[in-house]
Amino acid sequence: MSETPALARQPLPFPGSHLSDLSQPYTIHTDVEVDRGNSPETPSRLTSSSPNLSDHSISRASDLNLRHTIDLRAITYDGIVDENLVCPICRCPFIDPVLTDCDHVFCRACIDGSLSHGNFCPIDRLPLAEDSLTRAPKMVFNQLDSLKAKCPCCAKLLPRSGLETHLERYCLEAHVRCPGFLLEQGCSEMVKRGVSNQHCLHYPADCPDCSETIQQAEMDTHRDTFCKERLKPCDYCEVEILRCNESEHVENCPDAVQSCRWAEYGCQHEAKRKDLHLHAGDCHFKSIGPMAGFLKKEINSLRNDVQNLTETNHLQERRIKFLESGQRASERPMELMDLSLANLPEATSADSLDPGHDYLLSLLETQQNRLSHLSAELSDFQGKNTMMLFNETLPLKNELAELRSTQQVTCMHVRWLMRFRMQENQRRFGGGPGPASSGGPEGGAGFGGEPPLSRRLSDSSRDVITKL
Amino acid sequence: MAFASRRLGKELSKIHGNLPPGITLVTAEGFEEWLLDVQVLDENPIYMGKLFRLMFRFSKSYPIEPPEVTFVNTTDRPIPMHPHIYSNGIICLDLLSTQGWSPVQNVESVCMSLQSMLTGNTKNERPEGDEQFVASNRRRPRDIDFYYHDNTV
Repeated sequence: MSETPALARQPLPFPGSHLSDLSQPYTIHTDVEVDRGNSPETPSRLTSSSPNLSDHSISRASDLNLRHTIDLRAITYDGIVDENLVCPICRCPFIDPVLTDCDHVFCRACIDGSLSHGNFCPIDRLPLAEDSLTRAPKMVFNQLDSLKAKCPCCAKLLPRSGLETHLERYCLEAHVRCPGFLLEQGCSEMVKRGVSNQHCLHYPADCPDCSETIQQAEMDTHRDTFCKERLKPCDYCEVEILRCNESEHVENCPDAVQSCRWAEYGCQHEAKRKDLHLHAGDCHFKSIGPMAGFLKKEINSLRNDVQNLTETNHLQERRIKFLESGQRASERPMELMDLSLANLPEATSADSLDPGHDYLLSLLETQQNRLSHLSAELSDFQGKNTMMLFNETLPLKNELAELRSTQQVTCMHVRWLMRFRMQENQRRFGGGPGPASSGGPEGGAGFGGEPPLSRRLSDSSRDVITKL
Repeated sequence: MAFASRRLGKELSKIHGNLPPGITLVTAEGFEEWLLDVQVLDENPIYMGKLFRLMFRFSKSYPIEPPEVTFVNTTDRPIPMHPHIYSNGIICLDLLSTQGWSPVQNVESVCMSLQSMLTGNTKNERPEGDEQFVASNRRRPRDIDFYYHDNTV
């Protein structure tokens, strides 16, 4: 909707009676009115100081006209339109028809939509380009213009082409600006052309009956159908009642239709309230009814019991499951304990809305205590273990050192023995160095006058020992 | 939606009580989803005595865009056996694809095309790879790129 009143100076405190809604096949453009200037000092308004409002608005009736755009696809045509004048895409009489190369006619908007999905004629699938479309022959336009269509406002049958002009200028049911538009306040409402020679009725007024504030223009409708303080005839009896008391009255109205008191259990009898007692004696349900009522009450109480029991059962099942899982967790080896306990808080928090959640929480706490106790024990145990290990390794280390020294001593002995043996060998095969052989290397050095050969031998023997 | 609903309104008023034999309108509440029953009229042994339910879903751009047409499985309306109809009701027919659709088609003409597609069929089988397609397909029928290769049926 494009209703932005260009000259709405002061919005009225009440929602205006904009009578054009989406279901109407035409749009009223209030924003494309003739430009009158924005200042209230515009001559067209102030020239007439005459208070005679109706004269004023009549003389300017054409100024109140509004531009209408009709959706030609939404209007009703007279009778069945010739199939040859109907667009195969929208199934409406053509609107701005165009002709294709392959001699088919479509509405321009329809074929545009179709071409946006594929460049071919929707009927014979021949290639079709948008710029090859030509305006349909004048004859087609003439035929379309002369189609009789119903005016969406007054339902008069008119040629389609004249419909817009009819709505804008002549139709008594079409909307025009309220005559108040020409006044200083510049009313922005719309009224039907038929009543546009009256005063502007778009001002708040108090209903004389209920003292509610309503726009004067809607006063009649209000008093006839909505006003709570007005009398209206009862739908059932002849009595006139206040509208606000209607529901109360209908509950007691002797003429109001009511169903049998056993309707709940299957009686289908309906009668006026005053005649219902005649049925009561004959009603087939009169003996079954009380019984059914009693049974119903019984069933309801049993159902409640069952529900309670189910709940309790559910709770107990949960408790058993929890206890079982707790037991399983405690049976697990120590290193898994952490994991099983870490899972528990999740399970409990998910059930926190359960009535047994207190119990679960207390269980969780116990488990936590146990966990901390166990971890303390674990660290204690670790300390002890380290201590023990240390104590055990210390004597071992000592022993090791002792063994190492013993081994060194043995080594020395072996070295000495080897040397001794070598010297002995030398003496036996090489012939001679004699008594100095037991003196060791130091002693050997003392034989400065020995022949070079034996000297070398002594050197080489020393080398062998060092290698050992 | 106005364009689509107006066109559908016109189709509906034309359809009412005036459908070709073997096609019946079940529900057309609103302009988004219609249900129609289709029946094969000759003595084709595959479809004899059976009714099939078609579901039309219309987009806002109907009739410029094709409607989504599928067979639906109900207790007494099976999905017809046809080498171009998957067991989840999706129909492989180029008329219903975006390329094959033409805005001059309408609900009635689509129903008649499907009716004749069933009438002319002699193979009591599902398309190749039916199970796999039915298990894996999450797309809407019009988004599937069928390869229209078989012009015999």
